[in-house]
Amino acid sequence: MADPLMSLRDLRVEFDTRHGRVTALSGISLDVMPGETLGIVGESGCGKSITALAMMGLVPNPPGHVTGGQILFQGEDITRAKPRRLRRLRGREIAMIFQEPMTSLNPVFTVGDQIAEAILLHQDVSRAQAEKQVVDLLATVGIPEPARRAKAYPHELSGGMRQRVMIAMAISCRPKLLIADEPTTALDVTVQAQIFDLMRDIQREFGVAIVLITHDMGAIAEMTDRVAVMYAGRIIEQGTSDQILDNPLHPYTRGLIGCIPVLGREAGDAASLPPLAEIPGIVPPLHLLGDGCAFAERCALADDYCRAVRPPLEEKGHPVACHHAGQGVPA
Amino acid sequence: MAAPDPIVPQTGSKQPGAAPPPATPGRSNEASSPMREAWGQFLKNRPAVFGLALLAVIVGLVLYGHFIFDADPYDIVWMPLTPPGEEEGIWLGTDFLGRDMFTGLMKGGAPTLAVGLSAALITVVIGITMGSLAGFFGGWLDDLLMRLTEFFQVLPALLFAMVLVTLFSPSLWTIAFAIGIVSWPQTARLTRAEFLRIRELEYVTAARSIGAGNGRIIWRVILPNALPPLIVSATLTIGVAILFEAGLSFLGLGDPNTMSWGLMIGQNRNYLLDAWWPVTLPGLAIFLTVFAVSLVGDGLNDAFNPKLRSR
Repeated sequence: MADPLMSLRDLRVEFDTRHGRVTALSGISLDVMPGETLGIVGESGCGKSITALAMMGLVPNPPGHVTGGQILFQGEDITRAKPRRLRRLRGREIAMIFQEPMTSLNPVFTVGDQIAEAILLHQDVSRAQAEKQVVDLLATVGIPEPARRAKAYPHELSGGMRQRVMIAMAISCRPKLLIADEPTTALDVTVQAQIFDLMRDIQREFGVAIVLITHDMGAIAEMTDRVAVMYAGRIIEQGTSDQILDNPLHPYTRGLIGCIPVLGREAGDAASLPPLAEIPGIVPPLHLLGDGCAFAERCALADDYCRAVRPPLEEKGHPVACHHAGQGVPA
Repeated sequence: MAAPDPIVPQTGSKQPGAAPPPATPGRSNEASSPMREAWGQFLKNRPAVFGLALLAVIVGLVLYGHFIFDADPYDIVWMPLTPPGEEEGIWLGTDFLGRDMFTGLMKGGAPTLAVGLSAALITVVIGITMGSLAGFFGGWLDDLLMRLTEFFQVLPALLFAMVLVTLFSPSLWTIAFAIGIVSWPQTARLTRAEFLRIRELEYVTAARSIGAGNGRIIWRVILPNALPPLIVSATLTIGVAILFEAGLSFLGLGDPNTMSWGLMIGQNRNYLLDAWWPVTLPGLAIFLTVFAVSLVGDGLNDAFNPKLRSR
């Protein structure tokens, strides 16, 4: 097997809050292989976005601190990299697209200017060459009339168009790794499908590895090769997409899969099929985590042992962190 | 990088129903920058346009008036304290030395405006530098710079400026500098507040994610977005600085060798009970200038404030 493009080794990230120092990521280990799509899934507040920012070396500091572990990009630990080296990696080797295309573009410059800026930061080309590349890139991401659109300001474009612009900016220097932090959450469903199609095309064309961060199991099913399920700052289940979707072992993963509405299920079938599942409760605040399993409070299978002893991530067909892995009714 | 082969987007062919999103409908084809939109909004504001016109007339007279009415403002032309209109050719009367008020007003405007502008410039440069460093980096630098700002803010402005002018020679530069030193804290605090707000926005993280460094983020990303309130504040600072200069001159701390509106008021104030015009006319000139500047500032404020749009 090839060397991983990026691997997190027991990564810990802590934040200073008014409740004292809380642990946002407690020992995350992940590998991203070249050219693959890795999904990271979980509810809000599980640490998905912090993981993404950590991969860019962008954990907000203050209040955040990387307090342990390594982030290896092609063998180089970026938690120890100098700021100058990090700036060269960002955009050129690792790029990112964000959740809110409405707010992730600078409102006072044209989109063409902003993409050209990304190009000029990393490539030794003239302004005119960069502008020509911008038009090509906008065409690549499927924006009609790219030459004219390059002169548009962000507020003049729709959400889907802005996300295409973000993708164009992200791929402008042909990075090896593209981190997509809920890229379609703010978009409506038809546009979501187009953006996913575009990301697949980009991956095929450029061979870029994608880390797709989402809370949408449907997106996982559609896009990813492998999946890591996160809960309260830990990875609780990891495996290939097929393993996770067809044979989820953790009750939380089963709950997430139960939340996918099935198209074509009629209201009249409700008698024969269970209603759309929900997971009771919310992700516990990080400063209130105890010694036991963080999911115990919301879990139908939890017993006193769960509340007392945190389950380690163990191989049970695929890695899962649950004392009752695979028990109960499969989703 | 080699010119990428344009990949034809496959979305349309794979999903026959889903065409690429249509070009933003209902909008003109002209790209409109936020600044240009604000300017359009400004032009709809009648008081602001009036203020701009008034300011243009004043600046025009001050800059080019001497081409039409060329005279020495220090020349003694007639009896002291001649009322306006009494003597032909001396429309606005004379001051306590018999110097022509009209010539004085023409010549005295340039130093007044120059002091106002330079003081505003000094205010803006110091204020934006301090505020952006404090707001962007935060931490101990923020604490240090904000304590410094508060130190200057609690100083009694007029008194401190008087001390500065007295210590150094009362030249136009000293006066502008003194005014700048006492008025920058407000701009610094405003800049800091804007930086604190904007640095948390997603496009700043996005700029970092393409590899932009701190300097580029401050200059190219945050500052342009923080400018609207700063422009308004700088404009209003010009008005305040002009008043400040007049105040200093009135107290006898102006540059005695340069004719300015403030100096005219200051020198003639002892004769106020005998003659109203040598004090009132320069005062009126100052009032009109500050009034015009304030109208422009308010207009800019409204133009930049999206909440007031479409009213």
